[in-house]
Amino acid sequence: MKRRRRQKRDVIIPVASMGDIAFLLIIFFMVCSNFVKESAIKLEPPKAQDLETIKEVSVSVAISRDGKIFLNGQEIPDSQAVEWGVAALIKDKATVEGRTVRFKCDREIDKRVFEPVIEAIAKAGARITAIGKEGEEE
Amino acid sequence: MPRRKKKKIASEDIPVASFSDIAFLLIIFFILVTSLHKDEGFITEIPAGEKSEAKSEKNTTIAIRNDKLFINDKDVSTKELYQELKELKLGEKKTEDEKMVMLEAIGNVSYQNYYAAMSAISSAGGIVAIVKEDESSP
Repeated sequence: MKRRRRQKRDVIIPVASMGDIAFLLIIFFMVCSNFVKESAIKLEPPKAQDLETIKEVSVSVAISRDGKIFLNGQEIPDSQAVEWGVAALIKDKATVEGRTVRFKCDREIDKRVFEPVIEAIAKAGARITAIGKEGEEE
Repeated sequence: MPRRKKKKIASEDIPVASFSDIAFLLIIFFILVTSLHKDEGFITEIPAGEKSEAKSEKNTTIAIRNDKLFINDKDVSTKELYQELKELKLGEKKTEDEKMVMLEAIGNVSYQNYYAAMSAISSAGGIVAIVKEDESSP
């Protein structure tokens, strides 16, 4: 009778490289991620229905709760500066996505502040994506 | 005779076995902490430059007077505004001029109402045209 011999195999998982893989992953994600430039700007976006999800765009204009205007996270003096700044930033962009500006403004801001800014963006030849929040207004 | 205690020899190599655990913990931590926050909003192309008065006569006009919405001088709520604009079927119109909806802000207007009006126009497929309030009028 043949005796079946159970083969004992030593299975060794190579764990030595795991740390390297993990660190590579960390570095990869760190390089790939883009940081939010406007995290310091305090504002409450307006609410509306039927909003769509917006892709990330390169140029952003924001008006904070205290009425300060920001272009790509940097404070700028007035709407004239918005026009020049946006025009300069989108100057050599060929695609529609390239000349899209993300506009974010606090819901309490008065017309006298935001209207010139919207007009300035339009005058610079950019398309506007206005950021809000899905929901019913109170 | 009591046995002499053996002197412990401090190993000189750095313990690397836990490195991969640390790295994976870091990865998991960052995955959990990151908020994959997508912005919501709408995209609109606001025509720049002056428009003749004659053209604007034919188009629908939305006015915001002291935070009240009016469509062709009819007082409406935000929901009704969405409905009224949907009924116009602006998306089926061919030329840009026909798609245009005039947006006029008079008096103290907060961005919330302005945003609701702009969002209603663009979700109905229209193009927002900003009508500037006469500087001289009170």
